[in-house]
Amino acid sequence: MTRRLDVVRLWSLAFTLLAGGAVLAMAVYLGVASWPVLRGEGLSFLTGNDWAFRKERFGAAAMLYGTAVVSGIALLLAAPVGIGTALFASEVCPPRLRLAVKLLVELLAGIPSVVYGLLGVVFLRTVMSDLFERLRWDAPSGDTLLTAGVLLAVMVLPTVATLSDDALQSVPSSVRDAARGLGLTRAEAVHGVVLPAAAPGLLSALLLALGRALGETIAVFLVVGRAENRLPDSLFSLAPLVDAGQTLTSKLGGAEPTIALGDPLHTAAILGLGLLLLAVVLALSLGAGALRARLALAQAHRP
Amino acid sequence: MTRRRALDRLFTAAATLSALTAIGVLLGVLGLVVARGFGAISWRFLTEQIRSVGAEGGIFYQAVGTAILVATAAAVALPIAAGTGIGLVVYVPAGRLRRTLEALLHALNGVPSIVFGLVGLAFFFQALGLKKSWLSGGLLLGLMIVPTVAVAFLEKLRAIPAATVEAAVGLGLSRSRLVTSVLLPQASSGLVTGTLLGLSRAAGETAPIMFTAAIFAGATVPHGIVDSPVLALPYHIFVLAQDSFDPRVAEKVWGTAIVLLGIVLALSLGALPLRLKIHEEARRA
Repeated sequence: MTRRLDVVRLWSLAFTLLAGGAVLAMAVYLGVASWPVLRGEGLSFLTGNDWAFRKERFGAAAMLYGTAVVSGIALLLAAPVGIGTALFASEVCPPRLRLAVKLLVELLAGIPSVVYGLLGVVFLRTVMSDLFERLRWDAPSGDTLLTAGVLLAVMVLPTVATLSDDALQSVPSSVRDAARGLGLTRAEAVHGVVLPAAAPGLLSALLLALGRALGETIAVFLVVGRAENRLPDSLFSLAPLVDAGQTLTSKLGGAEPTIALGDPLHTAAILGLGLLLLAVVLALSLGAGALRARLALAQAHRP
Repeated sequence: MTRRRALDRLFTAAATLSALTAIGVLLGVLGLVVARGFGAISWRFLTEQIRSVGAEGGIFYQAVGTAILVATAAAVALPIAAGTGIGLVVYVPAGRLRRTLEALLHALNGVPSIVFGLVGLAFFFQALGLKKSWLSGGLLLGLMIVPTVAVAFLEKLRAIPAATVEAAVGLGLSRSRLVTSVLLPQASSGLVTGTLLGLSRAAGETAPIMFTAAIFAGATVPHGIVDSPVLALPYHIFVLAQDSFDPRVAEKVWGTAIVLLGIVLALSLGALPLRLKIHEEARRA
């Protein structure tokens, strides 16, 4: 029997490697392309608070701060509502309604970010500046880190809800039945049995939602104010939340990447920001994967 | 006893309120967009060119551009995702390598869309000298949705009963015949679902195409590859959302948002029955 070229095998393996290697290739490409700036700036690429490309100074601290604040607010708001929605779909509502809830949440997940951005520009911005005025907070406009965080919370809500629901559903129903059979109320069964069993899955859901929040560009760009190099004196000061700011993504979503094309060092700095974003998101994604694997392992060992 | 019951009620109420909030947000978003943009929707809006920086005319070539980008993305993602699914199930031996490749596939799914845009700008636009091109946009969007398509395909592949595979092998089928005659036909619905879902995401994305493929005005149907940009629905909304206070423009922007939402939701609705079924089946297994 002659061994012929197995086209199917070749095609599958080539594309499997391509799909798996794409992330690594992007990371390496960004790393190599941004090396001049990473070497030149060193740690001050992360800690320096002056980004001025005309003076060839590239310190991204204010953007890192903005990204952390905006996605922190988003997660703080989206986590309770999202996990609550998952608890409703998984533990509370009758099975018939369950499909309807899942369907609506899937639809919510499908709304493009530019539509949220438009809603943010036209509605949320005004709502927030009215709110600031009523509370007598000193805010110059509705374009603030808080506005971006609130908008982002709505956007990652379906991610939290869907993945949390998957985590809750992976807890076998026999566990619930046993708890209820012992006379526990539904709330007690959820609190004492279901939530602990689903905890790694829920944490993994929050990590993935955080990754989504960090990387969201278009909507944040439109409402964050894009004020350069604003870093508060104290990390725990709340005043910057109601002021304009800049995130990694709102920087990258603007005109600067295109401007940078003329200047190799500037291009390297911009790609360095992309590398930073990619590295954080990859770490979160791998962490979430490891947690899910632990969850699966725990279930496999259950009798 | 009463305290326990009260806590139980409180839990039920809080969970219900959360779900109502999520659903309220969805209905609120859809309601606002439709209420604002409904007046703009007409046959002429869909079939005319843009005029007066978005204040007049329609969004015909924006829709055409989005269709071109989405079709290219499908042509890129389908073969890669099909190969990846088959590769991970049939050809890559179970173990560390398979787990790593699968983790990398999930990682690709998490890569922010702006990173695709940046890589596209540095690589396709500058290094390859393509300038803005529909092909770069399609390639980037296609690569972006590979994980969505591949994961849906993998779920279906893994749901094929072992008996089916054993019967095929027992009949003496080679591995490549097993793939083409059994696995692909049995799991093709996963490819369809995944593609619909992926395209629904690709159609609405702005960040991957804004540096690499889309311009605001002055393009119709591309004739070449180098320096051949297209218009696109999401980019159109993005540009007009930034600096337009003309009320005539506003209505047209919301009208564009209705059209984009219609396309995106129709694509994901098309995938939904299969998708929900997969989820519920996975639960029972």
